[in-house]
Order: sequence, then C-alpha cells, then structure tokens
Amino acid sequence: MEPVERLLNLVALLLEAGKPVSFDRIRELLPEAYGHEDSESAKRMFERDKDLLRDYGVPLKMEATDIWEAEQGYVIRKDEYYLPEISFSPEEMAALFVAAKTGGQDVPAEQAVRKLLYGADGGVLAGAADGPLAAGPDTPSSRLLAAADAAQRSRRLRFGYRTSKGAVSDRQVDAYAMLCRGGHWYLVGMDADRLEIRAFRLSRFTQEPVDVGEGSEPPEGFRAADHVRAGPWGMGEPAERARIRFSPEVAWWAAAGLQGGAAEPVGPDGWQVLSVPLADEPALAAWVLQFGPDARVIEPESLRAEVVHRLEQILA
Amino acid sequence: MPERKKQTKTSDRLARMLVVVPYLVQHPGTELTQAAKLFDVEPKELERDLMLLFMSGLPPYEPGDLIEVDIDNGCIWITMADHFARPLRLTRNEALALYLRGTELLAAPGLAEASALRGALAKLKEGLGQDTLGETTNRIQPAEAGRPAELLESLRAAAHDRAQLEIEYFAASSGEWSTRVIEPEEVFSTLGNWYVVSWDITAGGERMFRADRIRRAEPTGVTFTPRGLAGAGRALYTPTDRDTPVRLHLTPAARWVDEYYATQDQIETRDGGLDVTLPTARLGWVAGLLLRLGTDATVLEPPELAERLRDLAERTLQGYLDA
Repeated sequence: MEPVERLLNLVALLLEAGKPVSFDRIRELLPEAYGHEDSESAKRMFERDKDLLRDYGVPLKMEATDIWEAEQGYVIRKDEYYLPEISFSPEEMAALFVAAKTGGQDVPAEQAVRKLLYGADGGVLAGAADGPLAAGPDTPSSRLLAAADAAQRSRRLRFGYRTSKGAVSDRQVDAYAMLCRGGHWYLVGMDADRLEIRAFRLSRFTQEPVDVGEGSEPPEGFRAADHVRAGPWGMGEPAERARIRFSPEVAWWAAAGLQGGAAEPVGPDGWQVLSVPLADEPALAAWVLQFGPDARVIEPESLRAEVVHRLEQILA
Repeated sequence: MPERKKQTKTSDRLARMLVVVPYLVQHPGTELTQAAKLFDVEPKELERDLMLLFMSGLPPYEPGDLIEVDIDNGCIWITMADHFARPLRLTRNEALALYLRGTELLAAPGLAEASALRGALAKLKEGLGQDTLGETTNRIQPAEAGRPAELLESLRAAAHDRAQLEIEYFAASSGEWSTRVIEPEEVFSTLGNWYVVSWDITAGGERMFRADRIRRAEPTGVTFTPRGLAGAGRALYTPTDRDTPVRLHLTPAARWVDEYYATQDQIETRDGGLDVTLPTARLGWVAGLLLRLGTDATVLEPPELAERLRDLAERTLQGYLDA
C-alpha cells in the first residue's frame, strides 16, 4: 500500500467517524495500513503518519472515546478541518493568484491560494496562472513570516543588521509593524538598545531573527509609514516645498514619478517648474543633481546653495 | 538518506491531493491539462495521483465505498468523495504568507487589480478570522511609492495579446528620447518600478524598458511569437563583453549603490566603504550618478569617466551662474 493512500484513508476515516476512534479500532478498520502482526511497529507507523498529518496542518486530536475516559482515541473534527466558505469573485481570485506568485518561490502562499481555488471559476484562473506579474525582492519567505508573526503578536526579535552605511550590529527590536515600500519590506519597531522607533529593511538582515520574548505595544497614534523614508525628500509630508525647473527632456518623467509633487504650467522655453515637498535638504540636493544641467533649483535659497556647494566640491 | 527523501515526497504528494481533489469535485469535467497547470504539476504525475485515489475511500472499502475517478477524453470526474469536497483550512503560515504577498503587490504603484486584491484580502481576513491570520490592521501595511506608470495597462495588454508596439522611450543612460518598435513579452514590478522585458526590433536585441519612461505606446498591428525571454526575477542589468569596467570607491553613505546596482568585485575598505566594479555600456548615466553622490564616491577608473564628471559638473554649475 502506498503511503499517500494510507494517509488519505486515515484522514477520511477520522473525518467521517464523528467520534474518537481508538488505535485498536483503527487497526481493525484499516488492516492493510496498520494490520501488522507486530502491534509495536504498527503503532510506530501510525505515530509517524499522525505527525506528518499534523505538520501539514490536519487537526488530528487525541480524545477520550467515552465519558468515562477509559480509553483514548483519535478524531478529526469537521469544523476544524474544513476551510470556511469564503466566496471570491473571479477577479479577486485571479488577484490572489497573482499575489501568491509575487515573491517568486513562496510555497506557503501558493499552497494557500490553491486551497482557496476550489470555489472559483477555473476558466478565469487559467489565464492568471500564465506568468508572474511582479517579482518581489529576494527576501526569503521564512524571514518575512517570522517578522510579520512577531509584529502581529508584539514579540521582541533579535537579529543581525547591516545599516545602509554598512555598519553591522546585533539588534533587539520590539516588533510593531511590517511595511512594504518601493519593493522592500521593512520591520518597524522599538530598538530596545537605542530606545527609538526605527525601520529595518528585511533584505539587510545579516542573521535570521530569533524570538527572544515578549515585546512592547506601539505608542498611541503610531503609524508605520511615518518611520520609513518615503522619497528623495525624506520622511513624511513636510510643509515646506522646493521649486525646481526641469528641461523639456526630463520634465515629463520627473513629474510622472514625484509623489506629492505639483507641476506648474510649462514655460515658453519648454522648461517646467515642479514644486516638491522638502524635508531633507541634502537628500533632495542629491536627487536634483542626478539630472545634471537638466534640472535647476529655484528656491529655497538654502537648497540652491547646497547644490552649488556640492558642484564646487566635485570641481575642487 | 533515501528514507528522508521519500518522506518529503509523500507529504508533498499528500498536500497536493488534499487541495486538488476538492477542486476537481467542485469542478466536474475539468481538463487534466488545465488542472495540472493550475496546481503546477506535470499532467502525468497528476494522473498517477488520481489513479491512487481509486484505492481510497471509507471502511469497509467495498467497491461502493471507494472514490470513483473517471478520466474521459482528457477530462476528470470524481465522485464518492464527499469527505474531500472541501479543502483543509489554511495554516497560519499559509494565510500570513498570502496576505504578505498580497500586501506587497498592493505596494506596487498603479496596479489595475488593486481594488480586487484589496477586496480579496479583506474577505480573507474576515473569512479566516484572527485565529488563523492574526492581527493585520496597523500591523501589516503597504505604502505606495515609486512611479505609477501611466501606460502600465496598455503594456500588460500588449504582452498578453502578443501585440508589437511602437513606443517613445526616455533612456536615462543617454538622457535622450527615442522611438522604437518592441515586442513586449513580460511586465513585472521590482524595487517599486515596473519593467517591460522586450525584444527590441529597432535595436535587434533583447531590452528591458522601465514602464514609467514610456511616453507613448501604440500597437503596430503585428502580433509576434514570444522568444521566451527571461522575465521577473532576472538581474536588472545583464553585463556584456562590450561593457566599460567602471571602478568606484563608495564611502559608507554611498553603499546603497552596491545594493541597487549589479556590482562586481566588492572589496571592503578601511573607512567602512566599498570598492566596486560597475559594468556598464554607457558612461553617461554613471556620470549622473556620480554627480548625485558628490564627495561620497570617487572614480578609480577609467580616467575618461572622471573627465566626464567634471564636464557635467561644470555645465550644471554654469546653469546656476547664468541664472
């Protein structure tokens, strides 16, 4: 008898029995599977099968077979086994299918969507299965899951981390939230040594996170997005704005991509002024400089001076 | 360890059967090839799985107690499998992994499926409950960033319909607009931007275009046969033997360059920075990058690049002096 066949029969039996079935009774009902003459080796095989099923998430439980609790048996409760009915529209199902493929090889996500598939219209999905739409960053899904789980349960994690500037250190962080921005996942939480809320990019972990105990709760009004750098102008949405002129060659795509930027009408020479949120002057100066002579800061004067200073340094 | 290997295979096979069977019970007459595609398995292997089902059922395993499987004209019918008519619940890991990947996709700018996906995640959350999925509000979030590409939907439709396009494209490496005819094979998002993997008829080679730098895209009316170009997951830049090896020193503040671009031969330096080789076909955009980095990067070679940087800095500075 093939192992899969034995396992399928065991699941079917315990699902349909409706009440706990003792091991002796299982041997009688499934003689081909556990009918070994030597009951010890039959039991060993049963234990292995039971562990395998539990690993896969089958809620196989041990309970007393009667109210006197004289004998223990095994049961799978239908309400614990069966997926609750969730009806998805074909569009929603197709979107989930695409999402499961976002991270490249992500076995748990793909298994999840396959379980949800059973209630869906297959015709629509055949198209969705064509190819990946998005390739996420190459963060291993186990790390992503560990960090998200910690954020959900307010746990403290320890991990190795390399900052964007290359410094590697051990961190202990109370996980508050997970945020995905610009194709990267960030863990936002309280750095227990620095006593500050910080964001940690998962792709910069140098050692896998380990759960080291209970963490703290996020403060009132906590917003993960406030702690992850948003754009060339820095964090959050500052009140101050800078005005920058762009040549006809680059104005179109500089404007297309600037979140929070506002375009002024195109001038007679074809140049266009964009007003941009300003929080971090050096960061914005660097961003403007990548356009070379095709971008020029109009105001504020301090930003203009910063750009000119940087150019003079290069020429020095 | 052959024993261990066999074990893994058994659990994979079981996992597959416990989801495939409910699907086939709910969708009688599904084509074998279509089911194989949906569940990412070879049709032959799926057929072997289904043959095994014949032997399973409920005690006392008389003919009337066994699952019946009919494969007729390549279509599958399963009966007598009521106990497997619904799949197993999602484990917490599965639910969380799917929710995370969905959130990741929502963070990609300008996606047409965004509202369907948002709806699906909300249903998933409600349907599975906190016990399975855990707390998600305020704990797992997308943040939109990057450039929404205006033509994203036209590009995806063209890739799907195998429609050749004429595009107007801004090449950041040369700072120029050009008109080219392309055959878009795949559209994907990575690091917050959308890309189109294409065969470029004008250049006679494989090219990758950033979707947000395409200003116009019109079908030429020609359909094409895909060449099977490598898509999502590939490196954003494929080095060639015509590349100029650019060697840079990056201070700690400029180390992000090493994370963002495909660099080679990294050497850690004493100041906490890196020396890297950045293979590139054009020096123009590297000069732009260096202008951005300022004193955080130094050109080690070629000398020509240092010249270009000076020239670019001079021309940029001139703009400020004239104004």
